[in-house]
Amino acid sequence: MEAGNVAQNLGQGAELAGKYLTFSLGNEGYGVGILSVREIIGVMEITAVPHTPPYIRGVINLRGKVIPVLDLRLKFSMNHKEYDERTCIIVVEVQGQTAPVQVGMVVDSVSEVLNIAAGEIEPPPSLGSSSETENILGMAKAKGEVKILLDVDKVVGEGLLQQLAS
Amino acid sequence: MAAGHKPLSDLLDEMALKILMIEPGDLSIVGELLDLTEKLLPGQAAADTPMVIQRMAAAFKGALEKFIMGELADSAENYDFLGQCITEMQESARKEGRPGEKTLAQFCENMRKIGVSLQPSALLGDTDAASAGMSEAAEEAPAKEVSVVASSQSDSTQVQAPAAGGTGQEALPDFLQDTDLLAGFIEEAFEHLESIEVNVLELEQSPDDQDIINNIFRPFHTIKGVSGFLNLKTINRLAHATENLLDDVRNGKRAMDSAVIDIVLTVGDALKSMVENIKDVLQNGPANYKDTDISSFLVNITQLQEGGNVAPPVEPVAAPVADLSPEVSEAEADEEAEPVASEEAEAEAPAMPTIARAAQGAVSSRAPQQPASPAARPSTDSGQKKIGASIKVDVEKLDALVNAVGELVIMQSLVRQNKLVSRIADAKLTKDFSQLTRITSELQRTAMSMRMVPIKQTFDKMIRLVRDLSKKSGKKVDLIMEGADTEIDRNMVESIYDPLVHMMRNSVDHGISPSADREKCGKSETGTVFLRAYQKGGSMMIEIEDDGEGLNTQKIRKKAIERGLVSEADNLSDFELNNLIFLPGFSTADKITDVSGRGVGMDVVKKAVEKLRGKVDVQSQPGKGSLFTIRLPLTLAIIDGIIVRVGTERYIIPTIAIQESMRPDRTNYSTVHGRGENLLVRGELVPIIRLYEIFGVESTNTDPCEAIVVVVENEGRRRALMVDELLGKEEVVIKNLGGLDVPGVAGGTILGDGRVGLILDLAGVIANKAD
Repeated sequence: MEAGNVAQNLGQGAELAGKYLTFSLGNEGYGVGILSVREIIGVMEITAVPHTPPYIRGVINLRGKVIPVLDLRLKFSMNHKEYDERTCIIVVEVQGQTAPVQVGMVVDSVSEVLNIAAGEIEPPPSLGSSSETENILGMAKAKGEVKILLDVDKVVGEGLLQQLAS
Repeated sequence: MAAGHKPLSDLLDEMALKILMIEPGDLSIVGELLDLTEKLLPGQAAADTPMVIQRMAAAFKGALEKFIMGELADSAENYDFLGQCITEMQESARKEGRPGEKTLAQFCENMRKIGVSLQPSALLGDTDAASAGMSEAAEEAPAKEVSVVASSQSDSTQVQAPAAGGTGQEALPDFLQDTDLLAGFIEEAFEHLESIEVNVLELEQSPDDQDIINNIFRPFHTIKGVSGFLNLKTINRLAHATENLLDDVRNGKRAMDSAVIDIVLTVGDALKSMVENIKDVLQNGPANYKDTDISSFLVNITQLQEGGNVAPPVEPVAAPVADLSPEVSEAEADEEAEPVASEEAEAEAPAMPTIARAAQGAVSSRAPQQPASPAARPSTDSGQKKIGASIKVDVEKLDALVNAVGELVIMQSLVRQNKLVSRIADAKLTKDFSQLTRITSELQRTAMSMRMVPIKQTFDKMIRLVRDLSKKSGKKVDLIMEGADTEIDRNMVESIYDPLVHMMRNSVDHGISPSADREKCGKSETGTVFLRAYQKGGSMMIEIEDDGEGLNTQKIRKKAIERGLVSEADNLSDFELNNLIFLPGFSTADKITDVSGRGVGMDVVKKAVEKLRGKVDVQSQPGKGSLFTIRLPLTLAIIDGIIVRVGTERYIIPTIAIQESMRPDRTNYSTVHGRGENLLVRGELVPIIRLYEIFGVESTNTDPCEAIVVVVENEGRRRALMVDELLGKEEVVIKNLGGLDVPGVAGGTILGDGRVGLILDLAGVIANKAD
């Protein structure tokens, strides 16, 4: 109940509460809503696609379906890291222009599924420019760590839309 | 329809095709053209549409509206000018919205010939000048839009209502009470009307065949019954009158002559457009209702019934049209033989059961391929052969099945090629594997065949086309169709229709000469056009052959030299010369009809065929006739490609576009200003495109003379693509890139090793290089 009140104060915390798949990029912990995650696969060979921004690594064969893959490190302008056995592709489903589309996101490693309560969520910090925080739904303090909760539709959708426009 | 995102060139291509389809007096296509044009107007066009083209489109629209309003003559000549205007817009689009003054001047000149004054500066200049210059066209456009476009737009509800006015108003609410039944009726009616057409045309072959007369009578009877039940008064009255007339024929009170046939056909058309309107009402609300004036039909029918030869006696029935090939007519005879027994009972049956069955039939048990054989339709009720039992399947499910089967085939070869597995020397395993292969390929064949429909449906429409054309031009033309049962990917059926219509029209209009001329040349007075379809290798072939004049090769050559397409010194074979008519600059630029007897808009045909990844060419013998051959892939889902390697990447080039590949000789390599690279291929300079450069990948070779070049042709442009290695030839299943849309890439596919390979889109690659 108390948590609920805090969430009320925060405005939207209550809507954000729920299960998140957490993963890491460098030293940072991230989370995406479990409902948009379709599956997690090990990194596989990616076919590069020309004329796309660097963070779109290319396309992969997901059991006979061709889906685009983007590298979250490059998307967030972090340093590139060689892929290793812990590197994963999280396949998420987002609303495309006409139909839902599946997109893979390359992350350093996948951690666990966390149940995050409304009271643990704070609004995104202001980092000066809004473009860096608009992908972020909020910050969650869980198990003594801070997890950055991502808005998958924005991260992926925007990436693809940009690419379509270019 | 994501119209806004359709590339400009596609829109213009579509417009070019539409204008070719226009016949004087056919305003519905003008409406469609108007719809397309509106997508190019300022404010509605995609953001990257050059301003010049938007302004051209505005002027173009102004002209179109004048046609609809009847301010401009609805003549073939004027449509030619419009066609040229589109060519100039295409030209401007090719030049990235910076057309030369000449193009603009031509555009304005053509507009002026139609009767719209326009200054080139208005198209180029700032916005003020533009709006001032286009005074007539642009200013009138917004004001008229509402009233003029009404007939062609579905959202023009408020405008239609007053037009329908007093006459239609009271009829409105009556028939809308049971929309389910109505929807059923609409579908059913379309099928019936189509069957009427086919049967009527058949009747001209054997005017005394009582079965065919019955086959024509029955649909009218059904339509009458159901429309009466649904309170569609106008349709009911018209169908009833026609039915009475046909009843007289059935009872031998009057002969089935060409006057009756003509009226049946025109009534069929009128009914079709009325049902079309009902459909519109059902979808977009009652305000769209149009009351059709049928009094003239009724008068005509009554006159005919009273036995007066009021209508001017037309030429005897035997005159034009289809001489069905033995196999076709045999097949149809089979189909017709069956229903005879039941038809009497059916025709006499009271209206109510008929309705019930009609409605039910429309809702539940329609086989996907059923419309393909309207003649066979009546036989389904009595449980006949030919169409066995069939179910309606969602196309998406079908696609999913085809996809899954494709994957199965790939997975199977992956397992087989597995190093460990392939080392096992077990006779049982080898046997099992070959059995498995057999099953999967059988499965693949079946899955593919589910998407195929006979081309008959499209061919049948040509019968009517040729009949109308030959009537109009006064030429006697026989149409002989062969192989109408050949199957074609259902996704292709629609796209092939327009080019086919244009080519048929070309053959009848220009290929076949008037009877008198033919007799002078010692030919029979009736010209013959063959329309054939058959499978050859992995392709579907469609041939249109006529025994007319043939192309005038020398005149084509002269014209081509004038236009700078070939030089005087070029030594081209007749075949190569004849096929110049497919070049864009050649055929549309001016009225070539007088010169070559052929060729207006053939580039549009070629484009449409190439979009389906097909090819078209023409062979001609002067004085004997010409043969157009269209080669299409059997299906759009699979592409036959050559896999090439560039650095570590693999790309697939569609085989149909490839002319040859080679390791270039240094003596044939040349550059212009150190940049534009060319290769001399069989005496022709072909620009080199370094694939690794435009795709931004590392390449093994940077020297074209150490690499391999693949010479490709697309839309008449030849390019030499530089690659590192040719890896092999494969049939691959095309998949989209999951939301990515990349210039130069048509899609992806899964290669034998499970990785994704990209399929090149040559038009995109070539355009990309041009930037």
